[in-house]
Amino acid sequence: MAAGKRLLLGDDQPSIGEALIKAMDMSPADVVFEVRESDIRGRGGAGFPTGIKWNLAGAASGDHKMVICNADEGEPGTFKDRVLIEKMAWKLLEGMTIAGYAIGSSHGIIYLRAEYPYLVPILEKARQDLISQGLLGDDIQGRGFSFNIEIRSGAGAYVCGEETSLIESLEGKRGEPRNKPPFPVNSGYLARPTVVNNVETFAAVPHILLGGAEWYQGLGRDDCSGTKLFSISGDVENPGVYELPMGAALRELLELSGAKDIAAVQVGGASGSTVTPDELDKPMSFSALPPGGSVVVFNSSRDMLDVLENFMEFFVHESCGQCTPCREGNRRLLDIIRSIRAGEIASRDDLKPFFLLADVMKAGSKCGLGQTSPNCFVDIITKFIAFPGDKEGA
Amino acid sequence: MEILTDVNRELGCIPEEAIIATASAVGVSNAEIYSVVSFYSFFSIKPRGRHIVRLCSTISCVMSGSAEVLEAVKGDLGIREGETTPDGRITLETTSCIGLCDQAPAMLVNDEPHTRLTPETARAIIAGLE
Amino acid sequence: MPNISVTINGITTSVREGVTVLEACELAGVEIPTLCYHPDLSLAGNCRMCLVEVEGWRTLAIACVTPVTPNMVIHTHSKKVRKARRTVLKLLLANHNVNCPECERNRNCELQELSEKHNITTNEYQTTPKPVSVEEVSPGVMRDNSRCIMCTRCVRTCEELQSVAVIKPVGRSAEIKISTFMDRGLDGVACAQCGQCINRCPTGALFETSEVRQIWEALEDPEKFVVVQTAPAVRVGIAEALGLPTGRSTGQMVASIRGLGFDRVLDTDFSADLTIIEEGHELIGRLGQALQAGDPNVHLPMITSCSPGWIKFIEHKYPHLLSNLSTCKSPQQMFGALVKTYLAEKEGIDPANIISVSIMPCTAKKYEKERPEMNASGYKDVDYVLTTRELASMIEEAGIDFEHIAEEKFDRWMGHSTGAGVIFGATGGVMEAALRTAYEVVTGHEIPFEGLNVTPVRGIEGIKEAAITMPDRMADGFEFLAGVTLKVAVAHGLSNAERLMKKVSAGEADYHFIEIMACPGGCLGGGGQPIPTSPEIRRKRAEAIYAEDAALHFRKSHANPEIQLLYAEYLEKPLGHKSHELLHTTYTPRKD
Repeated sequence: MAAGKRLLLGDDQPSIGEALIKAMDMSPADVVFEVRESDIRGRGGAGFPTGIKWNLAGAASGDHKMVICNADEGEPGTFKDRVLIEKMAWKLLEGMTIAGYAIGSSHGIIYLRAEYPYLVPILEKARQDLISQGLLGDDIQGRGFSFNIEIRSGAGAYVCGEETSLIESLEGKRGEPRNKPPFPVNSGYLARPTVVNNVETFAAVPHILLGGAEWYQGLGRDDCSGTKLFSISGDVENPGVYELPMGAALRELLELSGAKDIAAVQVGGASGSTVTPDELDKPMSFSALPPGGSVVVFNSSRDMLDVLENFMEFFVHESCGQCTPCREGNRRLLDIIRSIRAGEIASRDDLKPFFLLADVMKAGSKCGLGQTSPNCFVDIITKFIAFPGDKEGA
Repeated sequence: MEILTDVNRELGCIPEEAIIATASAVGVSNAEIYSVVSFYSFFSIKPRGRHIVRLCSTISCVMSGSAEVLEAVKGDLGIREGETTPDGRITLETTSCIGLCDQAPAMLVNDEPHTRLTPETARAIIAGLE
Repeated sequence: MPNISVTINGITTSVREGVTVLEACELAGVEIPTLCYHPDLSLAGNCRMCLVEVEGWRTLAIACVTPVTPNMVIHTHSKKVRKARRTVLKLLLANHNVNCPECERNRNCELQELSEKHNITTNEYQTTPKPVSVEEVSPGVMRDNSRCIMCTRCVRTCEELQSVAVIKPVGRSAEIKISTFMDRGLDGVACAQCGQCINRCPTGALFETSEVRQIWEALEDPEKFVVVQTAPAVRVGIAEALGLPTGRSTGQMVASIRGLGFDRVLDTDFSADLTIIEEGHELIGRLGQALQAGDPNVHLPMITSCSPGWIKFIEHKYPHLLSNLSTCKSPQQMFGALVKTYLAEKEGIDPANIISVSIMPCTAKKYEKERPEMNASGYKDVDYVLTTRELASMIEEAGIDFEHIAEEKFDRWMGHSTGAGVIFGATGGVMEAALRTAYEVVTGHEIPFEGLNVTPVRGIEGIKEAAITMPDRMADGFEFLAGVTLKVAVAHGLSNAERLMKKVSAGEADYHFIEIMACPGGCLGGGGQPIPTSPEIRRKRAEAIYAEDAALHFRKSHANPEIQLLYAEYLEKPLGHKSHELLHTTYTPRKD
């Protein structure tokens, strides 16, 4: 199997604290530089370059800078962060501590989704272990650098995976996305400069520090850097989390997990793209097929309209309701999906206004939820649904 | 949020008096806390049962038969989703993806995950709740 | 901030760095449609109406929140923008209750106007309209969520301008709505009834509790003697409500109201002057007790009580300060109590047959008249309250040509206006009127401000302060005030009131007298005034108020000949027995 090197969940793990101590031997600016050079991009889904984020937060003026770990993975079909925390919680904490050192922050918060209450003891134990080893807390390793981490729970809202909603939620408010600018790196949690990164991003940081930017970059494919965790589920023999080079072809993952009779694959969760069997050789890269953390496989027995309806019900339930395109748009898309199911739509042309609606939602919604929720509608209707009025062979 | 999470876990819901107390502790209006509570799926103002069963209704679980599991549980308990058994034992809810798609269908009973459910195993788990 | 260059629709222009795209477009004369934006409020960026295209951006930009950047290239009506705006509008209309003729805001609705401007004639997204749900009924303010577009202007008004914060978004996504704590309705929570939310609602989701029908019925009933009082701020708002420019229009207003069939058209200015006499003596009394008798239990600062929204607010939020309130009823209620006693006697009419109506810039006045203690005359002192907007609708219905009608004067006995009464309509006006009278009472001389204009208490500043030092020689009986520096403060908008009350509660304020008005700008910005409102509109209304003051012959309350007659014939003296019975009141602590 040409799976490449496994870092995050590999058998060969660095010893705890090694990367942090190496980081503290460097200047904070050099740590940021190393992360920047590694070209790692956010593993949550949006793919913002992590080094740039750290650089901006490091340079931002303001005291009490914050490091926040987004452990609110809610994208349907995503569970990689859960597995990573179950197996390697320490690495996430160490990555956050390195981030704290790099940007000049002494306070970190893990925002853990409400659906994962059973991970709280695991994180708590990892935290206590690090503290007892002098790798977390006050005056780490006698270097004069202090960093503390709090674990906080969400309360069940997909939109809180969006970083500004997450911050609002941490501040005790409704998880409604903020207007940007200002960006969190300048004014985030309690208006402090704040770095928000995904669990997997933080967990990759110790590897980058130990192996070096160039080495890490070389692990990726197709202009991507590093490795990536993929959660795969649906019609596969062996659902689970797989680690592949970032940018690996979708087909490779499908083969590893034993997918058969593939009719469609959802890449990047409900907000991602729905691909046909013709597209399996596409690389799972930010430019071609942004993977987020989720791949769901559908075999030929699945009715893709059912799938679409399920996705859209999810978005209707999870929209925060703040902005017009997302609040009203998702509902109208669900309505029309139900009309299609009821056989009320004779021709693809009747759906034109809804494709326009999808465009407006993508361009005009306030946050990523409304900007991406119409993707599945466009993909599935375009690629998988036949209408009475369709021409033969079209 | 922490206060509300604690109350919600302790009591299974966030009653009116708790909202008022939280509002005055934090120094905001009652409406503000009510608004926050109403935003999150895991918070409830209505009293709930001693056990809260949250069955996943998102795609991978649906593909693995969560609808059949739901029907079976509803049949046994005699309630619909969102309702509580008259004896106050169980509240049944459906939930968005709970990140156990590799072991679908899955549900949370209070803080405990239960996976690879069948109608039979789900019924047995729920029957075993006091 | 330096200037930067931006290009809007192909025209390059220079704007100050830091302005938003919306502001830059406005400066360039390019109109951008907005709904959730309001000049008095923080930016929400929710409605997505103000979408524009910025070259190089992946998504469309929200003009109201996006700051301009150097060399930004903006398109405000490209194909993409036009489609997006039309779609957003259609989405808002898709489940909106479009029964426009039934709506209070028909022809003055921002959603309707935008739909018209964008030629929305068909809607591919049409769905079942939200059910009509007048869920929140209260004496002054009503809400119908079937007309709500979730812009949250009301929510921000309630929190940011008024510190009341009783309305919030509840639920999320499809189930989201604006509601109150436990959905109790505005009557079940600490709503001040100020109606500022109504003034900022772009549609008809919020409106006043109307009594127009009852008033027509009273006017049409020959048995009833219908007396009407008009508050100072109405005369500078009514023209606006009828689509005319802001300005003084007292004469036309009086003529139009008389044209509607009211039996007596009278002026709340009269009882504003009366308030000054009573309240001024109350203040001097409290100062005397404190300064002369050295009584440590005197409640100072004394705080004005004219604004019923403010009264409800302090009853809910600062009940421990209720003794600091003046015991004077508001001018509306003083007037009401006198209509069915003093006026009834003078006109020789059985008070049982009198219908007492007031026209107010205010929704809280509708609440105030329902307070159980407001029946000193033995009857309900004020039967019905109309807002400025409701008066306009009656004038329109009657087909009265307000613009060209010949000016008329108020009827007598309780219809004489002084400048002091008129300025009650603007923030600082009560204070200014009180100072004009009190200073003269205690010193025997006019207040030493040019033209009697006490400018330090005028203007739009949220909290204004002034200090006036008394001369060494005082009038007989007021020697205890010689050389004393009287400190006063004025706040308008309940958020500013709250700031001041926090200081008072903490013992950090050494004021003697405080004026508070619930609404930004004072009554001229009241919840019953014409819509829209903005700092600019309120500035124009204030100008009109002060122009009216300057033009009047009598400008001091104690100079009002009808007030002098009232005391001589009926009340005998300020704070006397009859005054206490009819003109003073008590307050009730309420839960938050």
